[in-house]
Amino acid sequence: MSLALKKALYNISSLLDLGEETTSSKNFTTRIQSALYVIMGTFLTSRGAIFSYKVEDDSLAMVVRNDFNETGALRKALSSDYLRTLGKNEPFILKAGHDDDDEMPLSFRTALVESGTEIIIPLWVKDEFIGSITLGGKFTAQDYSAEDRELMKIIAHHIAITLNNHALIDDLTVQLEENKRLYKEMRLIYHDTLQAFAAAIDAKDVYTKNHSQRVAKYSVAIARELGMTEMEIEGLYIAGYLHDVGKLIISNDVLNKKDALTDSEFKVLKSHPNLSYDIISKINFPWKDVVQVIKHHHERLDGRGYPDHLSNSDLSDSAKILILADSFDAMTSDRPYRNNIGLQAALEEVKRCLGSQFDPRIVGAFCRVLDKEIRGELTNPDILPHLDKNFDASIITSLLETITEELSA
Amino acid sequence: MKPTNFSLSSRIVGDVAVIYPKGYLNNITGENLVEECSGLIGKGITKIVLNLRDVEFINSIGISMLLTILERLKESSGSLCFTDSKKMFRDTFEMLGLTVFVHVFASEDEAFQHLASGGRA
Repeated sequence: MSLALKKALYNISSLLDLGEETTSSKNFTTRIQSALYVIMGTFLTSRGAIFSYKVEDDSLAMVVRNDFNETGALRKALSSDYLRTLGKNEPFILKAGHDDDDEMPLSFRTALVESGTEIIIPLWVKDEFIGSITLGGKFTAQDYSAEDRELMKIIAHHIAITLNNHALIDDLTVQLEENKRLYKEMRLIYHDTLQAFAAAIDAKDVYTKNHSQRVAKYSVAIARELGMTEMEIEGLYIAGYLHDVGKLIISNDVLNKKDALTDSEFKVLKSHPNLSYDIISKINFPWKDVVQVIKHHHERLDGRGYPDHLSNSDLSDSAKILILADSFDAMTSDRPYRNNIGLQAALEEVKRCLGSQFDPRIVGAFCRVLDKEIRGELTNPDILPHLDKNFDASIITSLLETITEELSA
Repeated sequence: MKPTNFSLSSRIVGDVAVIYPKGYLNNITGENLVEECSGLIGKGITKIVLNLRDVEFINSIGISMLLTILERLKESSGSLCFTDSKKMFRDTFEMLGLTVFVHVFASEDEAFQHLASGGRA
């Protein structure tokens, strides 16, 4: 095999090495450092560096190097406009007697020669300046050949694309972080708005003050205990806050009436889930089923609820959670027509309505989380802080155990 | 993907350091070899023998590592010898013109004799 053929095979092998290194799953700096080693090994130089153009301050930053000193003069020279007047991805030889361009400014030439640079290649992708490769002289003291320069063009193009891709990913990462920040900010504003809206709903009736907030919190506690996704939990939180929004349209006389409601008044009151639905369905929520969950918070498993008389299989877990959370809070808070019935009586009522009004699996999760809160196992309890503290913990935990045992039987 | 396992060991014989790279000299882990040699040169050792018997593969990255070691030794007026090299590596070194700067021997003893006689790579 001739020497020329052997060299050609070595060069092809080097290009394969370059492709493999630049597309590997290693981190960016390792990939570029490896690429520099490939270039050095291909052109037999022990000195080289790769620079990346930084648009923000219009300068070149050294990404990787080997036996190459970065000096202020070099940085200044490389950042000058002159570099960009050279041919795109074309190697320029700076060695005495081999100058490609006699018009090169002296300061530019001096800085590069002093740094040990013998070849400089401006890197471009289409019309975008990306950076540069600088290489020292060959270890063998031979000149760079015409073949070397042709190979360098291919390699330069490859490195330019690698640097450009990284810059694009960097830009996307920055954009992504900014979007995440904006999303977080919008989410906070959204939640603040939601709470203000819920306060307006609850303000219609002094007896139901903070009812929406409590229902939201209870629902979230149950959903977490059931291992629902964050998306599902957030949807329930929203539904909890807004489930009674339809009451804004209902007369205060009906809402706050202390005596028994007439049939027509009761009919008006029972219209609030549909009114809530009408209002909320105008909003395009990113959370699945929020509108349906709100509409169905007065349904029952046995089909005797309202407004659609749905039964067990028609109701989602989220709807069943809201049904329980809403009823439990109604029982444990004062209403115009009665005082709260207390935690023990509320739990006994929940137990009595298992399977008819409340889903046993949802009740099981509710009992478990309440038990954990009473035992102090949860650092941020969602239910206990809102309950009347006038209860016997041992009686309640015993009752919760009874319900849990009954459910697991 | 090419194998990348690489390790090395070394011993001192008189004023000569013998280094035994093992595996694939084809990726950034080859920097360990450069660091090992640089450390030895920093301690004043200027005669280094690389026993290549356990090196399975050398690519352009491996060549760049060897060039860096050569450059370090050149700055210290030192010598580098390769021994026990596979034929394909010897052919590559010759094709690249590196055998002008590195003496390639069949065995460590031959390298020791060359270095003891004041031979410079």
